Amino acid sequence: MANDIVLETEALSKHWGGIKALNDISLQFRDRQLHGVVGPNGAGKSTLLNMLCGTLKPTSGCIFHKGQRIDTLKPWKFVRRGIGRSFQKTNIYPEVTCLENCAISAQRRFGGNFNLFASRHSNQMVRKAAEQALAQVGLDDRTHTIAAEISYGEQRQLEIAMVLATDPCILLLDEPMAGMGHEESQRIIALLKELKKTYCIVLVEHDMDAIFELSDQLTVLDNGRHLITGTVDEVRADPRVKEAYLGAEEDDAEEQAA
Amino acid sequence: MTTELFFVQLINGVQYGLLLFLIASGLTLVFGVMGILNLAHGSMYMVGAYLVWYFATVTGSFTVSAVLSAIIALSLGILIERVLIQRLYNRNHLDQVLLTIGMIFVFNSLQSILFGNDPYGVAVPGALDGGIPFTDNSSYPIYRIFAALVCVAIAGVLYYVVSRTRLGMLIRAGESNREMVEALGVNIKSLYTVVFAIGVMLAAVSGIIAAPMRSIVPGMGESVLITCFVVVVIGGMGSIKGAFVGALLVGLISTFSSVLMPSMSNMIIYIFMILVLLVKPQGLFAK
Amino acid sequence: MIFEKRTERILVPMFFMVALFVPLFLESNSFFVGKVTTIIILSIFVMSLDFLVGRVGLITLGHALFYGLGGYLFVILSPEYEAVNFWVYTFYICGIAALIALVTGAVVLRTTGIYFIMITLAISQMMFYYFFDSLEFGGDDGVFIFMKPETSIFGLSFLNLDDPQHFYYLALFSLFNTLVFFKVVLRSRFGRIVEATKQNPDRTEALGYNIFAFRLTCYVIGSTLGAYAGFLFALQYGFVNPSFLAWEMSGTALVMSILGGLGTIYGAILGTFTYEGLQYFFEHLTEDWLLFMGSAIILMVIVLRKGIAGYLEKLLEK
Repeated sequence: MANDIVLETEALSKHWGGIKALNDISLQFRDRQLHGVVGPNGAGKSTLLNMLCGTLKPTSGCIFHKGQRIDTLKPWKFVRRGIGRSFQKTNIYPEVTCLENCAISAQRRFGGNFNLFASRHSNQMVRKAAEQALAQVGLDDRTHTIAAEISYGEQRQLEIAMVLATDPCILLLDEPMAGMGHEESQRIIALLKELKKTYCIVLVEHDMDAIFELSDQLTVLDNGRHLITGTVDEVRADPRVKEAYLGAEEDDAEEQAA
Repeated sequence: MTTELFFVQLINGVQYGLLLFLIASGLTLVFGVMGILNLAHGSMYMVGAYLVWYFATVTGSFTVSAVLSAIIALSLGILIERVLIQRLYNRNHLDQVLLTIGMIFVFNSLQSILFGNDPYGVAVPGALDGGIPFTDNSSYPIYRIFAALVCVAIAGVLYYVVSRTRLGMLIRAGESNREMVEALGVNIKSLYTVVFAIGVMLAAVSGIIAAPMRSIVPGMGESVLITCFVVVVIGGMGSIKGAFVGALLVGLISTFSSVLMPSMSNMIIYIFMILVLLVKPQGLFAK
Repeated sequence: MIFEKRTERILVPMFFMVALFVPLFLESNSFFVGKVTTIIILSIFVMSLDFLVGRVGLITLGHALFYGLGGYLFVILSPEYEAVNFWVYTFYICGIAALIALVTGAVVLRTTGIYFIMITLAISQMMFYYFFDSLEFGGDDGVFIFMKPETSIFGLSFLNLDDPQHFYYLALFSLFNTLVFFKVVLRSRFGRIVEATKQNPDRTEALGYNIFAFRLTCYVIGSTLGAYAGFLFALQYGFVNPSFLAWEMSGTALVMSILGGLGTIYGAILGTFTYEGLQYFFEHLTEDWLLFMGSAIILMVIVLRKGIAGYLEKLLEK
């Protein structure tokens, strides 16, 4: 069982001045599992994800990938180790086609990135990998459409396709269903169910129904602290979780009233 | 270097630094609040110097000329903001660079058309002429001391306005959050106009103060502009405190280097700036 | 096909056809041939800047540094009264310029945005003052180049740089190669990542690319070609002085590239010819041509946002 652990954090903390965005988080992420991360706004979910993919450096604590410490590496080295992430806000190349979006992601693995002369269209492997990634998320029919012109839901799918095209083993997904309609969400849920058979997925999501349905392991964060990690049922039964969420809902209500 | 020379250079350096601060504060203020990089800021310095020279030859009074020039500069600032700069708010740095380069060309050309290309000097106002005895056989010009004090006074007013007044509060808020300022019911457009006009006036006032100390020549705007860039980059773009520290550093370094190693003196502030950026890529007081 | 747009497929051949035949109908040493040669050389410089600013997204205000270096490096490297080989020295100059670009690039690319603009400006100013204050290189006046290089390859010489017409064709040939080179580079897989980095740098980094390395490579390429243009210019006029690397030079080149259509590469030629044409026109019209130039630039920023190429593409595409 222990060998299944692909990504691990040890006493991970991030402080901004005096504010503890994330405090002393030790988590283990296993291969072929979907590990959900939930928590009220400001709980530190995005901070955690940003540190797992290397864009934020921890104030203290470590991150291990397959037993090797990686938190000091440059962000782009994380991807090379197979840690890919999607973004909460759609983060694609709007001016080029969907295929080109995935080709940009896929190309790195095949070398020749500093070849100044060979045409970008000459490598069939890049093209195939890109097409495959599009097919995986069900965007085959949008291959040659400019990314800015597809629907919002499709852009979210493209976002995932771009991560898949990097050929990762760990997927860090930041609210892939944000702003989606019910039907579109269902598509993503189905997709994630399929993906978790082959990848380790860390999923941050606000949609509770979706996360309860998908998670093998579930971590609840509150105010930068680790509240509980366990199966969906264990988490549901925990009284502290209810408290954290009820408190948060009151806050939300106040915010809306103001 | 004798102690005497050292102190003279020290005062020169501080005085030059203070003048630089006055020019750079306008540049950094406009950038910090409005996000506009105004390459024509140096031209405003030139405008101040030429105007005060012109009015001084016409009226004969430095004080009257200084006030007149400052008022004209303020109006010019409002005009430029309303006609040109307003179109740049949603544009990138590149468009800002271009438009303000165009403005430099226009101002340089107008200077040449209106005043010709001969170098001019402005007489030091009578009351401030002469020197303060320093040692037995040397003295320090009173006007330079006066200029330094005026710079300090303006810096003080600026500090007070930014940190203590409602306008200052809006300026500080506008730096971080445009929407918030608008939510307060303030018209951000008029705030920007005011800030830009103040920036222009600060540059022009520096030109006015500098006029009796320096010769008034074509191209004076650009050389001062680039020195100011160094100042604000060292201090951190948009930070007035940074501009103050940066200006004093640059003033002292360039004054002393021109005595100690004259062949390198023009280069040295750039080398210093590169060193600063290597250690702190956003300048000393970056936000 | 490296020329993807219809506009470039029409304009580029048209320009080079006309340019190829123009000197044949003119006196070899006429003012016109010399003037057009200068504009062609300048186009190479502007094109290299257009690549950096428009395609890589590096807004530099210090590109003239390399233009000046191209000239000064020749003076520094070559013996004063002896004709050296043009091709060998092109190699030397480009090699050293590339090395300098690699070192300075590693410094300036640590910064982004407004700081990048300023630090590029500062470095070029620093070198400007270095040459301006130097006694060795004639200070303000610069240095004369007494001997033009000879151009033989393996003992065969078909190009005489003292002949303005020959020099014209050398410049034109260089411009054509530069254009094709940039087009090929941008079409490559390298170019794909360069474009991606400009569109969305954060995402590109998140996909595992070391965007610093890509930017640095581009900076070296653009700077080297800028230095080559400066070298040609110094050879044409037989001198080099600090004004080559003054910030006005960088600024004017930026204006030209935007006037032509930023990021279009071929637009650099349009922009340079138009700018120089306008300047020539205004200069003959009035002494105060700078006023008109300045107003024209301001107008351009406000009205003609996509440059001449953008306007033509609107007419010609589809």
